[in-house]
Amino acid sequence: MADLLQYTITGITVGMVYSLIAMGFVLIWKSSGVANLALGQLVLLFSWFTYGMLAQTGLPVWLGLVVVVAFALLLGWIIERFVLRPLIAQPILSLIAVTLGMAYFIEGLCTFIWPWGVDVLPRLFPQDPIRIGTAVVSQEYLWAAGVSLLLFGALSLYFKYSRMGIAMRATADDQMAVQACGIPVTRIFSRSWMFACVMAAVGGILMSSIGGISYGLVETGMKSFSVVILGGLDSFLGAIIAGPIIGLAENLAGGYLTAYTWPGVKEIIPFIIIIIVMFIKPYGLFGESRIERI
Amino acid sequence: MHLPAGIRNYTYAQDMAIFRTKTQWVMFGGLIVLLAVVPLLMGNYWLSIFNIIGITIIAAMGLNLLTGYCGQLSIGHAGFIAVGAYTSAILTGQYGVPFIIGMLGGGLIAGLTGVLFGIPSLRVKGFYLAISTIAAQFIIMWVISQWGSVTGGYIGLNVSPAEIFGFQFTSQLSKYYLIMGICVIAVFVAKNLARTRQGRAFVAVRDNDLAAQVMGISLFRYKLLAFFVGCFFAGISGALLAHCYYGFLNPEFFSFKESILYVGMIIIGGLGTTVGPIFGVVFIRLLERLISLELVPFLESTVTALPSGWASGVTPMLFGLVIVLFLILEPRGVAHRWQMFKNSYRLWPFSY
Repeated sequence: MADLLQYTITGITVGMVYSLIAMGFVLIWKSSGVANLALGQLVLLFSWFTYGMLAQTGLPVWLGLVVVVAFALLLGWIIERFVLRPLIAQPILSLIAVTLGMAYFIEGLCTFIWPWGVDVLPRLFPQDPIRIGTAVVSQEYLWAAGVSLLLFGALSLYFKYSRMGIAMRATADDQMAVQACGIPVTRIFSRSWMFACVMAAVGGILMSSIGGISYGLVETGMKSFSVVILGGLDSFLGAIIAGPIIGLAENLAGGYLTAYTWPGVKEIIPFIIIIIVMFIKPYGLFGESRIERI
Repeated sequence: MHLPAGIRNYTYAQDMAIFRTKTQWVMFGGLIVLLAVVPLLMGNYWLSIFNIIGITIIAAMGLNLLTGYCGQLSIGHAGFIAVGAYTSAILTGQYGVPFIIGMLGGGLIAGLTGVLFGIPSLRVKGFYLAISTIAAQFIIMWVISQWGSVTGGYIGLNVSPAEIFGFQFTSQLSKYYLIMGICVIAVFVAKNLARTRQGRAFVAVRDNDLAAQVMGISLFRYKLLAFFVGCFFAGISGALLAHCYYGFLNPEFFSFKESILYVGMIIIGGLGTTVGPIFGVVFIRLLERLISLELVPFLESTVTALPSGWASGVTPMLFGLVIVLFLILEPRGVAHRWQMFKNSYRLWPFSY
């Protein structure tokens, strides 16, 4: 029983970070219809950037985090302006392929600048493990969950009350109508990329403070796709709910199934879930299945 | 397609022919002779580059049928190639099956795996399908790397060289003729498949699958057929990769990055054309060799101030950049430029 509690807490907290990364995806998909397959690579890039900057410049951690967020905003703007903007109204195949090209580029960039391989972030959170009942949980997990919850809250407030947030929701609903109202749609696209990059950065920092930085982070980012698919491609609520489910499934399977199957089953469970969802309910739990007209 | 002045088609068969003028026949013959003679003048270094190009063309032809003609994006092609490679290696190595049957078996199993993972394409498309092929890639590679008792896992698997009627293909030159022979057949089959009823059905499905269905094209049949054919080509290419190129198999040869590269190749070449993948493959594979064998060692030795290993990031960066730039600047690929060049050559000195 002690194991079960342990797996549950770890799974749910890690799952929240997946949710956070997945929300960045949903944001871009909803506002501009672009599927960002470079998610894993962005997570990797931001983790390395945080580590490299903190280690090399010796900035205090809080200032370092501000720099990371600024960098994420800048990178999001650059990606939208110079890669996605020229491809507006291209077929979905090109839009997917261009993010794949970007993924390739970013992974190369990480090797180019930081060819070390594996590393650990400087400690951001206190180290003493916490006991919850019989489970021993290291504090990073709880911090990760806390930060994710905080960001969910901030984002929902932003979408509910801010002018720009409302405009972004409107764009997700009907792009033509928004344009007709005189809202600059391109600005909304770039805003959503900037936010998504910040979410990927925060998610990356949280993940790498738990597990260290390695190229495995790319797969961590990829796991967020299973969150997106399970929750539904165009649903924030779906992403928030599906994240912990995926994290839970992954950790429980890692705990209980490894004995019966091969090692590494934990890493593959999200992908198996993708295939199962595709067969049973392809538009996910909360996704909207669009009716197509010829 | 433009024809030179004075050439007219009097029968339907003439109009449908691939080669319509004498010049085209002469140039085609020249190409075959060139392919047969040039390797005799090359060393093993270039022969091995030609071999990998030939093998990759077969797989890219399959992906082009699936993605370029039928519009079903697959980002798990390296996984399907791996299925073919391992199946063929295991069939010949452990069950003593002749190479030819092993290769066809590899293609068949890869095709069936493709059909299995292609089933979601009946209900979803675009991004959803792309994700499920990514999942296919990861699941396939996980099974291969963990099923150690059969596939050798991370330790790898030794593969016997190809053998037909007692003749072993061990020298680079003999491998070249085997690969080029199969490659020419594959290109021929792909070109003709695209012109048949099936190929036209693929195009209809790509352009609008609902409209195609309304016209009576069975989506079930043609989408899964596209997956089967595309992955069959991948399997054949994998078998050649195992027997004629590496001689040894390791899960690392079939990474997710390789899958992205295949998509990149057909995009650079031009989707939905037969010459496109050939251009794309030659471009990417030559660039790959050039960078990893010439540029990277050069950079590593000249710039020593940076931490070691940095230059290995140059290759993926350049590839990523090339894919992005092609999509932005010439989304129809090299094949489109080639067509424009051919047209202006045929009509010269008139502008149209």
